[in-house]
Amino acid sequence: MYQQQINHPANLSAEPLPPEVYEAMFDLFEHICHFWDNLDNPQNFKSRLFVFMDNRMRLHPEYRSFYIQANQTLDELVERLGEAAAYKMLFTDTAANQAPPQTPLSLVRQKVSNEFIAFQVSQGGFKAFTGAINYPGYIAGAFIPGEPVPYRTGQEGAQ
Amino acid sequence: MNTDVLIIGSGVAAAAIANRMLEADPNREILILEAGTRVKMQDQALWDDFMVSGSSYTKLPYYKYNDLDYPQRDAPGENLSVGATVVPLAGARVMTYGGSTIHWGGWSFRLKAEDFRLKSNTGQGADWPITYTDLEPFYNQAECYIGVSGDSTDQDPPRSAPYPFPAFPYTLEDQPVYQAMTALGMSSANVPIARHGITNTTSRHAPCKTTGTCKYCPFGARYAAPNFLGDMTAWGNFPNLCIMDNCVVEQITMSSRQHASGVIYLNKMSGEFLTVEANTVIVAGGAIESPKLLLRSCSTYWPLGIGNDHDLVGRYFVTHPYFVFTGTLKDNPNRLQPEMDFPTLCSRYFDSPQEQAAGKFILINPPSSFATLVNNKPSSVTQMMQNGMLRQDIEKAVQGPTQVQIHGMVEIPSEYSNRVSNLDIRNRMGLQETIVDYSQSADFNTRMQQISAHVGNIFESMGATLAGPPSISWRADHSACTCRMAGTEQEGVIDKDLKVFGVDNVYICSNAAFPNTGAINPTLTLTALALRLGEHLAAPAHP
Repeated sequence: MYQQQINHPANLSAEPLPPEVYEAMFDLFEHICHFWDNLDNPQNFKSRLFVFMDNRMRLHPEYRSFYIQANQTLDELVERLGEAAAYKMLFTDTAANQAPPQTPLSLVRQKVSNEFIAFQVSQGGFKAFTGAINYPGYIAGAFIPGEPVPYRTGQEGAQ
Repeated sequence: MNTDVLIIGSGVAAAAIANRMLEADPNREILILEAGTRVKMQDQALWDDFMVSGSSYTKLPYYKYNDLDYPQRDAPGENLSVGATVVPLAGARVMTYGGSTIHWGGWSFRLKAEDFRLKSNTGQGADWPITYTDLEPFYNQAECYIGVSGDSTDQDPPRSAPYPFPAFPYTLEDQPVYQAMTALGMSSANVPIARHGITNTTSRHAPCKTTGTCKYCPFGARYAAPNFLGDMTAWGNFPNLCIMDNCVVEQITMSSRQHASGVIYLNKMSGEFLTVEANTVIVAGGAIESPKLLLRSCSTYWPLGIGNDHDLVGRYFVTHPYFVFTGTLKDNPNRLQPEMDFPTLCSRYFDSPQEQAAGKFILINPPSSFATLVNNKPSSVTQMMQNGMLRQDIEKAVQGPTQVQIHGMVEIPSEYSNRVSNLDIRNRMGLQETIVDYSQSADFNTRMQQISAHVGNIFESMGATLAGPPSISWRADHSACTCRMAGTEQEGVIDKDLKVFGVDNVYICSNAAFPNTGAINPTLTLTALALRLGEHLAAPAHP
């Protein structure tokens, strides 16, 4: 059903997010996939990630600043620590996960990286950990008699 | 303003009544007045907001249209609880266009035959003035209207037509509970659920795609009245159907003791108090607002409120206590995880005539079961990654200690002393706040001990350790019986056709009409009653 989308009025006069920020955010998404090795072919999810980012900005205009800030912070962190160490710090630093975010790194962790993780898991990242074929947020598909059930069933367990 | 039929409230009852009357006559003049406002449905950005929050209820776009908590020392809150038992209204209902179907779970059970004869069988509560057989054809229609997926071979209670969609099979996470119940001789059944399946007929409603975010379905697959009302107004070709939101009905006006002339309502957008004249008035505002409106509608004809000569309006207020038993399994070798947001396995074994006197109850294997415990806290895969756990640690955790739950609800007979009434303060939606006076019966704790013993056996059979006594919520999700149906005006407020005793043209169609609630969710029964009323009012008038 075609419906008018919700759009925050503050977005009406906002500049679009620069293309290099989109690319930097996809780079972060790829690092999530590689760090946990739980989603193959991240490139397949690029357009969905950008739609997800657009949705976040559509509802919450401040996300435009979050993504720009994340780009800057990650550039600085990578320059200082190197790529692998920088992303490991982003994903695992305990202090950066303390709410509310009060440092640039904690802002990136909580408002960008953690949300990308939720998005990534809902796109299929959950499968690597549990063997499940469905997960809250994943669009597993309809239950159509005669076709595979879109979640693990008791019959599957019996086999 | 004039209309033929005026419906107050825009939930499933209003939608079903209007649907049935417009099927019979597409030109029928129907006005629906809703106190709440519209919430955007099926919006991808709102869905993303909910999904990335880990399905936090506070992130839902309709969260702000719930009641607030009762007043606390340091928070003003809303409403007043004056009984011995606190029955929270916060979270129990949503005051929006489409009513509480915007957030319901979609569990669509039928009452059983013995539920219609509670008083005759047990001496408690009240009988329905109709039987299961009377309502059975309308249950069939209701299941088609709201799109229920269920097991058509399940004949408990008996059914004369199949469900429109087949049952969702038990999940793998259901197996430990299923095996335990089977070993204990307890029957289990598929949960009938209002989620559309694939149909070979043209449907504007997408099939459930098992996204597991049912409180905000991005496809509109779970029945929600706002989607159906939107379809009727946008596509139905019903020229005389009008739905107005942000209109709070203040009182029903009477031109004589037997005849309502219409209503006075507050248009919240203009601030004006306006009048609508109507030939028929249907109050479909839920079990809390419906009696409050009758009580507010005092006149020389009805000095205590419409239909309230016997002080029964708002009385017999009841809801289902919802219990949650929690246990722990020491490991989870099959890495079972919640895959959906609705249950597929229940047991109505204790929803039987043998249990009726003590209080029937049902058990549910909830979709929240099999939650990985990290530092004794339930954690999803997402949360483990967000907390910085490495892959090998997550893989180990999902096979380790796991929290399991069994949920359920128990029937409570309604009692005269429990009631709802108006509080002379307006809430954020412009409705008068509510005084809730409820005290649980003395034997409730004894019944819960009996239930605990049964659930304890299931947990033991599963190899799970029970964490302690259950948490019990008296939240008013299933509130009912406040304008109950009866054979006489000494026993109830409305007759078997849902018409207020002593008034020719005012009907109550909400859970308020129930004489009792059985042990199951009321929405399917309400939908059946609404379709029955719609058919009754659509019939040509007898000369």
